[in-house]
Amino acid sequence: MSGGFLLPAVILVAVVLIAPFCYTLYRSLFSDYTHSTFNDFANYGAFFTDPNLLRSLENTLMWVGGAIVLPTGMGLLIAMLTNATRWSRAARLAVTIPYAISGSAVAVVWNFMLTSDGAVNGALKGLGLGGLAGNWLLDWPGNTIVMIIASSWQATGVAVILFMVGLQGVPPETLEAAALDGAGPWARFRHVVFPQLRPVSIIVIGMSLVNGLKAFDLIFVLTQGGPGRATETLAVSMYQETFLFLRPGAGAAIAVLLTIIVLLASWTYLRRQLPTQGKV
Amino acid sequence: MSRIVRNCVVVLVALLWFVPTYLLLVNGVTSVSGYSGSPNWYPNSFGLFANIEAAWKTANLGPAMANSLYYSAVSSACAVLLASLAAFAAAIMPVRRRALWFWLIYGGTLLPLQVFLRPLFLAYANTGLYDTQAGMVVIYVAIAIPFAFFVLRNFAVTLPPEVIEAARLDGASWWRLFRSVYVPLSKSAMVAAFVFQFVAVWNDLLFGITLATSRNIRPIMAALADLQGNYSNVGPPVVLAGALVVSLPTVIIFFLSQRFFVSSLKLNV
Repeated sequence: MSGGFLLPAVILVAVVLIAPFCYTLYRSLFSDYTHSTFNDFANYGAFFTDPNLLRSLENTLMWVGGAIVLPTGMGLLIAMLTNATRWSRAARLAVTIPYAISGSAVAVVWNFMLTSDGAVNGALKGLGLGGLAGNWLLDWPGNTIVMIIASSWQATGVAVILFMVGLQGVPPETLEAAALDGAGPWARFRHVVFPQLRPVSIIVIGMSLVNGLKAFDLIFVLTQGGPGRATETLAVSMYQETFLFLRPGAGAAIAVLLTIIVLLASWTYLRRQLPTQGKV
Repeated sequence: MSRIVRNCVVVLVALLWFVPTYLLLVNGVTSVSGYSGSPNWYPNSFGLFANIEAAWKTANLGPAMANSLYYSAVSSACAVLLASLAAFAAAIMPVRRRALWFWLIYGGTLLPLQVFLRPLFLAYANTGLYDTQAGMVVIYVAIAIPFAFFVLRNFAVTLPPEVIEAARLDGASWWRLFRSVYVPLSKSAMVAAFVFQFVAVWNDLLFGITLATSRNIRPIMAALADLQGNYSNVGPPVVLAGALVVSLPTVIIFFLSQRFFVSSLKLNV
């Protein structure tokens, strides 16, 4: 009886998403020679030996760290600074607009900023700091770091919006009471506001974690993972191994490893945070 | 004193943050002949429409935008319809193994998209779906269902059970209950899910470059990536104008529905 309601969605998800996932799991165990054979997890062994994949893992870790710290920190700071005054709504808009732009368009904008004759180098020369100008996208690890900054430029907007929602939920009485008890601005933030922002922080950090792990569009449009393969993350490496170097077994293994990392990270994070989470 | 410092910090951060957006606007509007090889910091000419026209020609941005509008609208609508049927069953109808159905449908959002790519590519190539509009719609519907289902189910469990029971006692069939009670009550959640998926499909790059290749099939972000690949040929103003046009729909939606973005994001983790 309920079948008629459930089945269309279940069948579509099973055929288009779950079946391909199972095939990728299976394919990751087989070699990439013409006669593909079971190869004793050699595709996974490559994560310990292939310098390109090690670099890719390293970049992914940098992305996760940066994607968590920068948008969360900047988002909280900007939300706090612009919460009190009316005119700072305009300032907040400057930070939230980039969030409405797609990852690919962000890549276009930041390519314009970062190429050798781009806006950043132009500005540095204009300010008499020409010595600081550089090839931002060419040298590792600088190129990964500037892309993380570009990504944070976009992602901070959501963090600001969410922290604003959180701040509006802080009852003013709690702040007044703390002020009456002689708490300074920093103590009020540390002991009154911050604990009440915990549910929002959990959401912002969780989102940033997953965004960092899945980073693809920006890198793919901005550098294609290059120069060489220096800026690939796991998400990009999977695409390149599969469709550019035509090593589907290696690509499948990367996809599976990425899945394991995403699931483990979300699970560990949510398991630690959720039991104490209140309602947002 | 501390107020002055704070205000200065706010102004400084906002100005710095605005620089890329400002340069996007200024240089996307600059005509190609007005672009001297290094970025303009203030507008010196107006060539927006010529730039858009050039982007249209180089990367077929026009057809790609029409495609993406079609993909976003049709697949989000289909996904919301299928997801609301499933959410109705999973939250309101008496179903055995409720948790199993929930995870079967919802589990899809937890996986990185990369695990679907090659099997889908092969399957599409074998079934003639590769590089067709129908093929793109199918993947976008499937990928949009899990999250739409999640939102609609969370909404459905908040509906008052008395309403459902009363209608059942009056002899209404499940189908009739779905149409006349559930859909009218969950309209706002359905709109929210639709807008959210519309933006997600519009912004998709990965499936666009994997499952389509022709200029009259591929979605907008694939065309923009192609335009970016021609950066040195067509000149920065054209590429930036392309990025501007491509961002219009999502920017409009963002301004129309800031509140909605917030509430849907709160459901996201």
